[in-house]
Parts: sequence; structure tokens; C-alpha cells
Amino acid sequence: MMATTEAPTRPLLPIASGKRTLATVRALLRPNRGLAVIAMITLVGATAVSLLTAPILGRIVDLVVAGETPDSLVVPVGLLAGVALVAGVGTAIGVALVGRLGENMVAALRERFVERALRLPLERVEQAGSGDLTSRVTSDVTMVTKVVRDALPHFLRSALMIVLTLGGLAILDWRFLLAALLSMPIQLHTVRWYVGRAIPLYAAHREAVGTVHHRLLDTAGGAPTVRAFHLADSHTGKIRQASETALELALRGIRLLTGFFARLNLAEYVGLTAVLATGFWLVNADAVTIGTTTAAALYFHNLFNPINTALMLVDDAQSAGASLARLVGVTDLAPEPEPGKEHVASDAAVKATALRYAFVPGHDVLRDIDLDLQPGERVALIGASGAGKTTLAKLLAGVHTPTGGSITVGGLRLDELGPAAARRAVALISQEVHVFAGPLADDLRLAKQDATDEELRGALATVGALDWACALSDGLATVVGTGGHKLTATQAQQLALARLVLADPPIAILDEATADAGSAGSRELEASADAALSGRTALVVAHRLTQAVNADRVIVLDNGRIIESGSHTQLLDAGGHYAELWRAWSAGRGG
Amino acid sequence: MSSDEGSGKAVLRQSLTDERRRVAGASALAAGHQAGEALVPVLIGVVIDRAIATGAVPSLVGWLGLLAAVFVGLSFSFRFALRAAERAAERVAHELRLRLTRRVLDPQGGAEKERLPGELVNIATGDAKRVGAVAGTLPFGVAAVAALLVSGVLLLRISLPLGLLILLGVPPVLWLTHLLGKPLEQRSEGEQERAARASGVAADLIAGLRVLKGLGAERTAVDRYRGTSQESRAAAVRATRAHGWHDGAVVAVTGVFLALVALVGAYLAMRGAISIGQLVAAVGLAQFLLTPFQVLTWVNGEVAQGRASAGRIAAVLATPPAMPNGSRDLADTPRGELRLAAVTAGRVRDFDLEVPAGGLVGVAITDSGVATDLLALLARTANPDSGAVRLDGQDLSTLDITAARRAVLVADHDAHLFEETVAENVLAGGAAGHERAMAAATVDQVAQTLPDGTGTVLAERGSSLSGGQRQRVALARALAADPAVLVLHDPTTAVDPVTEARIADGIAELRAGRTTVLVTTSPALLATTDMVHLVDGGRIVAAGTHHELAAANADYRSVVLT
Repeated sequence: MMATTEAPTRPLLPIASGKRTLATVRALLRPNRGLAVIAMITLVGATAVSLLTAPILGRIVDLVVAGETPDSLVVPVGLLAGVALVAGVGTAIGVALVGRLGENMVAALRERFVERALRLPLERVEQAGSGDLTSRVTSDVTMVTKVVRDALPHFLRSALMIVLTLGGLAILDWRFLLAALLSMPIQLHTVRWYVGRAIPLYAAHREAVGTVHHRLLDTAGGAPTVRAFHLADSHTGKIRQASETALELALRGIRLLTGFFARLNLAEYVGLTAVLATGFWLVNADAVTIGTTTAAALYFHNLFNPINTALMLVDDAQSAGASLARLVGVTDLAPEPEPGKEHVASDAAVKATALRYAFVPGHDVLRDIDLDLQPGERVALIGASGAGKTTLAKLLAGVHTPTGGSITVGGLRLDELGPAAARRAVALISQEVHVFAGPLADDLRLAKQDATDEELRGALATVGALDWACALSDGLATVVGTGGHKLTATQAQQLALARLVLADPPIAILDEATADAGSAGSRELEASADAALSGRTALVVAHRLTQAVNADRVIVLDNGRIIESGSHTQLLDAGGHYAELWRAWSAGRGG
Repeated sequence: MSSDEGSGKAVLRQSLTDERRRVAGASALAAGHQAGEALVPVLIGVVIDRAIATGAVPSLVGWLGLLAAVFVGLSFSFRFALRAAERAAERVAHELRLRLTRRVLDPQGGAEKERLPGELVNIATGDAKRVGAVAGTLPFGVAAVAALLVSGVLLLRISLPLGLLILLGVPPVLWLTHLLGKPLEQRSEGEQERAARASGVAADLIAGLRVLKGLGAERTAVDRYRGTSQESRAAAVRATRAHGWHDGAVVAVTGVFLALVALVGAYLAMRGAISIGQLVAAVGLAQFLLTPFQVLTWVNGEVAQGRASAGRIAAVLATPPAMPNGSRDLADTPRGELRLAAVTAGRVRDFDLEVPAGGLVGVAITDSGVATDLLALLARTANPDSGAVRLDGQDLSTLDITAARRAVLVADHDAHLFEETVAENVLAGGAAGHERAMAAATVDQVAQTLPDGTGTVLAERGSSLSGGQRQRVALARALAADPAVLVLHDPTTAVDPVTEARIADGIAELRAGRTTVLVTTSPALLATTDMVHLVDGGRIVAAGTHHELAAANADYRSVVLT
């Protein structure tokens, strides 16, 4: 079936260039300019004030050296307490403002991403494999959000602390600054050394942990199958292997991290020694007081933590940058083209002429398809796996663009109609059943935003789903899907059919909507589908021949071609492929 | 205290005992590191006191040399402490993970009862990791205590009143910042959950992209997503505000405390009770001491979490088995004669069925619940309440579970495909006849449409295949296992009728002479059997060939042919 005949190298969705990514960040920043400025001023202010602590302590030392009386301590100690309070309030406000700024930008980015992702032509998504889009919306959005939420405030505070402390050292004496900067080459080298190794190593570790997770889920989910086939040893062995790989990578990560800190320790020692030696020299030369040297040494000692923090976050920042580029790659894509003016299909007829389709040029999976669906007609599509049934269904629904030939809906070509109008006219219920996370009623209202509760109940009743829906713990308000109540395969498929009833398109295409439910469920679902399709032009990819018997017309597809077309009785009389099939199937019917 | 917590303690104790060497070594090294960190501000004070204030070059060189030695010591002890601690943590998690896997896969089962696979995986990853984290953080807790002792001694030697002020002052300071942050932090937990919703909903919408496209519901979905995203944004902003106030409180409270220390220290220095260097060292130590206290709070939290996780792990490990095991073994080559005599179990009532050795028998069941219960009996995942299931005359419930399942294989219609290649999935059944099995189940056709043929790796649960393709691969695996008795449940519900007819012939041919039971209502499959039993209301109501029943029995016709 589909997903299979595609080209071996998938054209992945694009990744934005550094320039485009930066431009997007600027665009996201623009509406928040005022907020950004106030946030930065507050944080700079708070950090600057907190840096007064060291010189005030130095001043206290000088007072002691000068042999002053304890009364003289009141002013500097009062100042120390004042500095603490102002810095505290400033930090609180600054962190909150930076948080708001980051959240505003992240929210705008993810909304833009989802909007663009949902409007991408499905064909493009399928070319890239839906895994590409899924991984962007899960890991990349999460990565960017996490870094903005957790790392950005720390990074900003540490960076400000570093810059302003270095400034403070310069104010004490410019030679202290020079001494402190002696540690910088070591730090820069360390960061380059670390980031170059950390990003691939941590990525490998995350992947290894993902593999462990996957293997465990695979095994736990299939535990009855593992037991039935005596696979416990081989599965435990695979999990052991995956877990050991993850363990080794975790330890390599730790070795890298300790190497990183060891190098920073060296930088700390070099800088501290330089500051102290400079103090020794300057005090001897009477250029500065012992108090000033104390302040300089304490300044530098206080830099240890912010430097570690800031440098540790560099690899997070790089990963976030890579994720951001992958998100911007999608937000920059062109949406589906819409025609200039609105067209409305005049009736519910579908006509395909000389239709052809190839995933790989030169390898047609469908050829010479001529098809005419009259308004209100129900047609069953029969054929072996790989005959092209799903591809034909997708072409008629406008998901794929034909390689040759044309499709008209209500007399208008699909491309004239435009994707939005085409989808209003033709609904496709495909193989993938998905239950949207959230209240059941919200799921249904995706098909009709303003549907009343009565309409929802009506749609559920039509497909025979009202009984179980009402029996849910909170009725239609029950949270279903991921993280909520899990619906059975039959229920999920009935839900898909109820959405169809609500969306109420004149033409519906059903592909394998009854396939996964077991034979008892299949029969129930056939009844649901029957009700949902009533009054519509319908093409049903049939899995049980009973669906063909009840259809107005049966089309047999073989190897990409229509080989038979006619009503059930006509085809039986014709004595072809379908008749043979029916005989095998109904052998017991007594003739 | 419940017994679960008790056994959780046992799990935790066992894990720590297994790794005691590494934990002890890491503790000693981490303590050395803390001592080194504590000495750095002290040495800064000493350098100022003895070298800078005196202007003696040899003194400067000597003390800076000592400072270098301290840096080397603290750097190396940290490096090896962290490595040992992390290895201990990872090993604990790894061993627990394997113990849990073995428990879940135990032939007697039971562990996955009332636990979703995802939940079990979370226990084997998240909880195992948190128990490991106890082994990983404990050394740093030990080191923090050591640091408190060292700096306490240093401070008290500098000055008794100043030392006492700092040592007794730090805990209330931390307690105060904790208190200031707590209500905000509690509120922010709920906010963070709401803040995380936006990514979850986005992933869900993308997962349902085809459904949205099929209905033209993109615009509705985008509008709705914007609402969710903005709610998340507002929640996240409230959470960061809470964080901001917490951070700010820490800055303010510790700053005021430092001012107090400076005041008392300077007063003592002016009175000549301590030197200037000692004043500088005391101020430095006061700042330094905040860290060990914070580490202790953190270790405490990790241990609490680890204890809860150990409880959850212990609960899984201690789940009673779902099935009592039997002890008897079977003949090496069972003939495969299956007899159910007056069996009652669940919805199966007073059930008699005879399947001769080598026979191909169909069982058409009107109610899927009855089918589930019948299959459980044959798969030895349930024992009859009364009556007996016999294989070659031996009561199945007295057999060793593994032996019973080796002889009778029940292939369920929703059997799980694993995330490996198509070929590996089939080979998991058995290697000998896997090619014939693939041909009979038409997996060779499936493979032709896959990018790498039978070497194509399947996605999670085989979701990269269509329903029909999945069933065909699962069927091939069951056929490849070549058991004495093969029970197939609805093997072709998602397969198109053309292929189904081919598969029905394939099964009959491949299983010729081997006992096979087809539990299905598919006429294509039933038509190939020697005999069909119609089951209604939990018992057999009619038997005959497919043709006979289809001709004579209206109930059968309505179940199978419409």
C-alpha cells in the first residue's frame, strides 16, 4: 500500500539558514521591544547593585586597618543590607520580565509553526515522512521552550554578572582586570573543546536512552506475544544491550563534564593567582590599599560560579539554535496555494479522466484510470494489496496531485477549486484513526466548530456511538486520546465517522475505516459507515465483499488499472475476476 | 507503614549495598573536594594577611604554591568522585531495569495486569533512574556534612562568637528563603504542568494531521491551538514570576545575613580579637557555607523521591503471578490432539470440543467476549473453573507453562509486531520453515512494496504497515513457529478479499497434517476447514462442514455470510 513505493531518499523538510533564523528571532522580538529593554535595564541594574557588595566589604576592611571605631561601621553595613534588598527586588522583577519576554516569543513561534505545519500540502509532509514534522513539533519545540524557560534567565544573569564584575575590577584598578583576563584564553579554549564534543555525545546519549525507552515499550506492550513465542531471553538481551550502551554514553558524558570542570579549575587558579600577585605588587607600590586588593580577590572568587554556569549553558544554547533553525525551516515554507476567487462545486459528481500517478518518475502505480461517480452513488473499490486503492483514494481527495490526467469535482478541476474548497467538497477518512487529546466534544467540533450539543449527539447516534459515548464517565466532556480515556479501535473509528457526519461533505471517501476491529467489530462498523455515507457520493475501499454487495457499483483495481466495473450482479454474470473471488468467498452458500 | 514501602526500602538497601564500594569511594573523594573548596577563601585571606600585608615575596610564592596544591586536590577529587558516583547511579538503574524486565516477561505473567505498558516503562526508566540517583547523590551529601564540619572547625578557631553566629545563622537563613519561595513554588508546579500542555497539544494535532486534512479542519484546529498556546503562555509567565520572587528572596536574605556577619566580624577585628585575614576568611566561609546546606536539602529531596520510586519498583517485582505453574513436561513431539471436556471459564460454558491430531478445524463464535475467554484457556493464560483442556490426554493446567505454550500456540488477531525488520519478526517464530511461512501468509508480496523488502525495520507496533500487512506478518510468524497445535484468531480481518482467499489456501497447505484451529467468522478461511463448530452463548450449538452449515443453518449464515 502507500508509504512504500516512495523514493529511497526522502526530501526532508528544509532547515533555515543562520541568517533566516536570526531574522525570525528579530521579527519575534519586534513586538516585545519595550519589554526587552525594560527587562535588560532591570537585570543590569540589579546585577550592578549587587556588585557593590565587594567594594563595601573592602571599605570595611580598610576601616579596620585604619583603626577606626565600631561606630564607623554603621554606614557601610547599612549599605550592604540596602544593596541586598535592592538587588533582590531587582532580580525578582528582572527574572519575571525576561521570563515573560521568552514566553511571548516562544508562544508566537510555536503558534506560527503549528499554523504553517497544518497548512502544508499533505503530499509534502508525506514526502518527508511524517516523522520529520513530528520530531520538529515534539523535540524541537520542547528544546527551544526548555532553553528559553530554564537556561536563558540563568545565562543572562551569569553573563551580566561576568561583564559587570570585570567592569568592577577595572574600576578598582585596570591592572586587576588585565590579571583576571589571563584566565580567559583557557576558558575560551575549554568551551570550544567541550561544545565540540558535548553536542554529538549528548545527542548520542539521548538517542541511546530513547532506544532503551523504545525497546522497553516494545517489549512491555508485546509481553503476551513475547511469552507466546518464548522470546523473553532475546528481548531481555536486547534491553540489556541498549541499556548498557546508554550507560556507557552517560559515563562518557560525565568524563567529558569532569574534564570541562578540571580545565575551568585551572583557569580559576591562573586568574586568582594573577589577581593576588597584582595586588601584592600594587600594594607594595602603594598604588592600591589592602582593602581594594581584598575586593578584587573576592570579585574574582565570586566569578567562579557564574562562569561555570554561563559556559555550561553554551551547548544548550547551540542545541536550541539548531532546533530553532529546524522550526524556522517550516515556518518559512509557502502554504498551500489558494485560488484567487472562491469556487463552489455545483454538484456531488466526481470524474477522473486518464488519471496517472507515479511516486517515482517512470514507475506508474496508477494508469489509465477513467472513473465517473454520479451524485449520490456508492462505489466499492476492490483489489489486492498494492493494487493502488489507497493512492486512488488520495488522488480523488486531492491529497496527491496526479502525474497525468485530471479530476473534476462538481465540474471543476481540483486545482481550480483550491485545497480548502476541495476539502469542503470531499472528505477522506483514511487508515490512520486518531483520537484528539481533550474532551470528546472538542474532538467532534473539529469537524464543525459551532455544532450544538444536540448536533453532536445526533452525529454520534447516526453512527451508533451515542450509547457508549453517554456511558463515558463525563459523557461528551470525557477527556479522550493521549493521557485521557482510551477508546477502543471500533469506538475510534466510529468517532471518525461521526466527524464525517458533522462535516457533512457531499462526497466521502472511506479507506480501510473498518479494517482493524476484528470480525465482530467490522460488522458493527459497516453499519456505522452505511449510516454515515447515506445521501453522499461515496467511494469505499472494501475489505469485506459484503460491502461490495451493498454498493451501487463495484470497481476492481489490479496492478494500477481498473479491470472490471459494474454492479455486483453484472460482475457476477460477467464471470471475471470478481465473480471468481465471490465464488471462493461464498463457496458455502450452496451455489 | 505499608508492606510496599517496606519492600521499597529493601530494593533501595539492596541497590546501595551492591554499589557500596563506589558510593564510599565517591563520598571520600567528594569530601576532599569540599574541603578544598572551603580552603580557597581561607587561603585568599592568608595570602592577604601574610604576604600582601607584609610585602614578603617568599611568603607570597609559598602560599600561592599551597593554593595550587589545593586546586589540584579539589579538581582531581571532584573528577573521580563524580565519575564513581555516576557509575554507581547508572549501574543501580541498569540492574533494576533488567530485574523489572525479567519480572514482566516471566512466563507466569501478572506484572502487566492493571498497568499500561507506558506505566511499566516509566517505572523501568524514570523510577529506576531515581533510585540510582540516590546512590549518585549520597556521596555529595556525605561531603556536604564533611564541609560543614571543616568550615565549622575553621570558623570556631577564628572566633567563637563569629563562628557560632555563622553556623547557627545559615540554617534559619536557608529556611527563610525556602519559606519565602515555597508558596510561590507550589503554585508554579501547577502552572508548569499547564505550561507544558502547549507542546503536547501541538504534537497531538500533528499526529492527527491526516484526519484534519481529510475533514478540512485545519483552520479550526489552528484557532483552537492558539487558545491553548496562549493559556500555556499565561501559565508559564505566572510560573516565571514565582521563580523570580524566589530567586530575588535568596539574593536579599543571604545579602542581609552577610551584612550581619561583616558587622560582627569587623567589630571583632577592630577590638583586635581577630586579624584582617581572619575577617576576610570568615566572610568568605559564610558565603561558602550556603552551598553545603543547599546540597543537603537537595540530597534529602532526591532520597525522598528515590524512596517513593523504590516502592513502585518493589510493587512490580512483588506482583503475584497471574497463573500457577505446572510441573509436568510434554513428549518431545506431541501428536496434537486437543480435547475440551465440559469446560466452564468466564463466558465459556460447559464447552466440549474435539480436535483430532492433524485436523484443521474452524470455530465460529458470535460473541467476541467468548472468543477471548476460549483463547485464554488454550494459551494457558487462564485455567478452567471446571472441566479440563487436554492435549494428547494430558491436562493443560498441570503442564509447565512454557512446555504448554510451546505445544499450543495461540496467535491473537492483535498480536504485537516488534520494532525490528520484517524478517526478524517472522524469524522470532522459528527459523526452519520461515520462507514457506512467509509465502503462505503472502508476506513476500508485502515485502515487495517495502523499501528494503523483508529487511525493512518496522515502526513502533508495526504502525508503518497497514492493518492488513501487519496481520500477514504476524500470521507468517505464527506459521513459522510450526507448533503441534496452532490456534489462529481472526488472522485476516484487515486483509483484502483477494489476498484473503490466497492466504486461506496457504494456511491449509502449510498446516496439512498439523493440528490447526481457526477461530474466525471469515467464510474464506472457514471454507478450507474439515469441520466448523458454531458457538453461541458460550457453547457449541452446531457442527458440520462450512458448506453444510451454510446451507442448513440460518444462524451460521447470518454470522458468517452477511
